[in-house]
Amino acid sequence: MTERFFAEKSYRQLLKNMIEVENLSKTFKVYHHRKGFFGSFVNLFSRKHRIVQAVDNVSFSIKRGEVVGYLGPNGAGKSTTIKMLTGILVPTSGRVSVNGYIPHRQRKENAKHIGVVFGQRSHLWFDLPVQESFELLQRIYRIPQTQYDQNVEMFDALLDIGAFFQTPVRQLSLGQRMRADLAAALLHNPEVLFLDEPTIGLDVVAKARIRQFIQQINAERQVTVVLTTHDLDDVEKLCKRVILIDKARLCFDGELAALRRLLSTERILSVDYAETYSDISIPKAHVTYREGNRVQYRFAPEEVSTADLIGAILQKFKIVDISVQEPDIEELIKTVYEDNTALEQKFTETDTLDLTNRNT
Amino acid sequence: MRPLYLTFHVYLAFVRKSFQKRMQYRVANLAGLATNFFFLLVHIFVYTAFYAASTEPQPLNLNEIITYFVLCQVSFMLMPFWGARSEVTQAIKDGSVALQLTKPVDFHTYWFADEYGRACYFLFMRGLPTFLISILFFDVTFPQHPTVLMAFALSMTLAIFMSTAITITIFSSAFWTLDTSGVSGMSGSVIMLFSGMLVPIALWPEWLAHIAEWLPFAGLIDVPFSIYLGKITGVGVWTAISKQMMWTLVFIGLGRFLLNRGFSRIVIQGG
Repeated sequence: MTERFFAEKSYRQLLKNMIEVENLSKTFKVYHHRKGFFGSFVNLFSRKHRIVQAVDNVSFSIKRGEVVGYLGPNGAGKSTTIKMLTGILVPTSGRVSVNGYIPHRQRKENAKHIGVVFGQRSHLWFDLPVQESFELLQRIYRIPQTQYDQNVEMFDALLDIGAFFQTPVRQLSLGQRMRADLAAALLHNPEVLFLDEPTIGLDVVAKARIRQFIQQINAERQVTVVLTTHDLDDVEKLCKRVILIDKARLCFDGELAALRRLLSTERILSVDYAETYSDISIPKAHVTYREGNRVQYRFAPEEVSTADLIGAILQKFKIVDISVQEPDIEELIKTVYEDNTALEQKFTETDTLDLTNRNT
Repeated sequence: MRPLYLTFHVYLAFVRKSFQKRMQYRVANLAGLATNFFFLLVHIFVYTAFYAASTEPQPLNLNEIITYFVLCQVSFMLMPFWGARSEVTQAIKDGSVALQLTKPVDFHTYWFADEYGRACYFLFMRGLPTFLISILFFDVTFPQHPTVLMAFALSMTLAIFMSTAITITIFSSAFWTLDTSGVSGMSGSVIMLFSGMLVPIALWPEWLAHIAEWLPFAGLIDVPFSIYLGKITGVGVWTAISKQMMWTLVFIGLGRFLLNRGFSRIVIQGG
């Protein structure tokens, strides 16, 4: 039995792709509710429904050890995809495999190798102290004592869970609960970690801490991370690669930098002048904002290089401080959501980028 | 395959934690204890008045009736109609039950263990005090023979198992109704009547008692307490106990079936 176990283990290690999704679709039946008192009576006897396409022919694959941001506006089909990857939902059509398992057919097997954190809901037992929850998880996943002790020690060092280890979960602050949930999801050394909005509602310090933890876990343990979030700072700090999904369809799959390059036509240059000048105009740059000695210019990098622009400013004026800002990726993603066709056109123009169906 | 005792070990931990998490609500338990005594007193006063007004011989004498209702209050919290308040139905209602699917556990056994832990908690922390205090104030009778006590213990254990199995079956209905308070309330009234919790089945008209005999619910209350009072003896004990066993298995099977169906049709809110 052990031989078979090792054989199977090494077979899974050989799999290059941790997650494979091929032509995945999911449709839901949504019942139409008639309005009003009479309508609710009619509902009892006849119900109309319409079919909602939650995920439409999505394909991608994720390699072992990658950290991927899976992004999209509300209702785009992110959670539905995650739920199919974790074995909660059965796909309507298409193929899913996680670590060589088919999640909805081998739910319990798959569950042993994945860690899941949903920011909005806790996995821990509400009425039990954190430690008790952890001990239950130790039993459920059959975690050997040494591994359990090592992990608890490590998570205490990184997330300071020792500070509230004996506190019932219902008394934890949101930040503490999130830390506990994250640690709980990693107790059994999963190979894939699904994070659904792990920093929702947290303050800046707590967010930073959680991001750092995810980075470290990924680096040290080669855990594959799929991150769903609306917080684009998360994406910027953690993910090299992003997958964008909108209206159930995949609309971008590639490096974050590529997305940025693709869409960023303009940059912002902020300057703090040493003196007050009446005429602050610079060729090829537009003043977008001015308050006292602080001025912001907008410019297009293909028209004028940042270096030339700064040189021009230094020739004419005395400055205290100067900085160049890339546009917010929130802005970028908004452009994508609002105008898919624009992005698709750019895709066809630039062949350096992997396209939507890069794995097919 | 993992050895059975190891699996058992996991679910035993669930039983223990379930017990433990309820230990945190001590004041609520004390308040509950007071409620138990309130209902016990109502029952006892009513039956004392009945028995004082009647001259005919009854199948149970007044002491036996008092003992019967003391035992009813002991197991009141073990009955399967508390399901609607449980975390599980809440989890089904708000969709978070889906999250639990990401854990490698068997759900029927997991919930069964959790509910069984609840039952054990209420048996020891509510039932036992109710019984001990009642001995001080009322004329409670005890079984005459140790074998009766053993048969009672066995029958009572089965009653708890059966109650737990029924509870999970009621839970599973939440997959269809999203709210078990309707199913729970309805089954609650049926169970309360046909288990013999309101009126011992020995006092029922024959035709109604006959119906109760064909239903599973007498196994929750009337069967174990009749064994305690020595009203079921000899072979009757074994027939009664095997019936309890059979119904427990039926409800476990039904619960498992419904749960699997429920999970397979699950549609989680949001997307």
